Amino acid sequence: MAERYADRAVFRTVYIKEAHPEDEWQMDSNEDEGVCYRQPRALGDRLAIARDFAERFDYRIPLLVDAMDNAAMHLYSGWPERFYIVGSDGVIAYKGKPGPFGFEPDEVEAWLDEHPAPAAAPAPATLPAEDAPPAAS
Amino acid sequence: MSPRAARVARRLVLAVVILAVAALAGFTYMVGGPRNLIGMLRYDQREEGRLRVGDPAPDVLLTALDGNRSPLLVGRGDKALVLVFGSFT
Repeated sequence: MAERYADRAVFRTVYIKEAHPEDEWQMDSNEDEGVCYRQPRALGDRLAIARDFAERFDYRIPLLVDAMDNAAMHLYSGWPERFYIVGSDGVIAYKGKPGPFGFEPDEVEAWLDEHPAPAAAPAPATLPAEDAPPAAS
Repeated sequence: MSPRAARVARRLVLAVVILAVAALAGFTYMVGGPRNLIGMLRYDQREEGRLRVGDPAPDVLLTALDGNRSPLLVGRGDKALVLVFGSFT
């Protein structure tokens, strides 16, 4: 999606507090896939898991890691996963529902389909009068 | 209370208990087992939140994978910014 809509949107992932670490709400599916981490207690641990994630999935979208006070998670109510779209004016244009049940990439795509890339400034069709060649007399 | 009324009351209580246990078992199955039920009760932090469409997006300082600090909203130019919140697990 990020590549398909690169003409109109910048994508950014915010890595937040783990949703299902092994010392809290462990999920069977994560055990089956060998995705088992304890809840990070320091930023270095959080960065290490985010790097594992990016490496395992060859993840190309720029990834930023939330601070240990979970400031971004709290500001955006982002747990466990959630989409937002911020318009070019810096205003929230789309707010998804919390995942997993409200995490809807289709809604993000629909918004992006309805909001095309900013138009490039059109090239002048004719030269301005002062730049026009002098008329033959 | 007559013996007959006492029998009816006992049966009613038993029926309510059976229904409650069945409902709990059904809900536990629905959420994926007892471990998920306990996890949901203890750790679920889903919330709607205060931000609304039309609000200015708040900025916050984050850390990139290379260790450098970066504001969330920087570097989007005149494009929209799609934010994906999540974790590995």
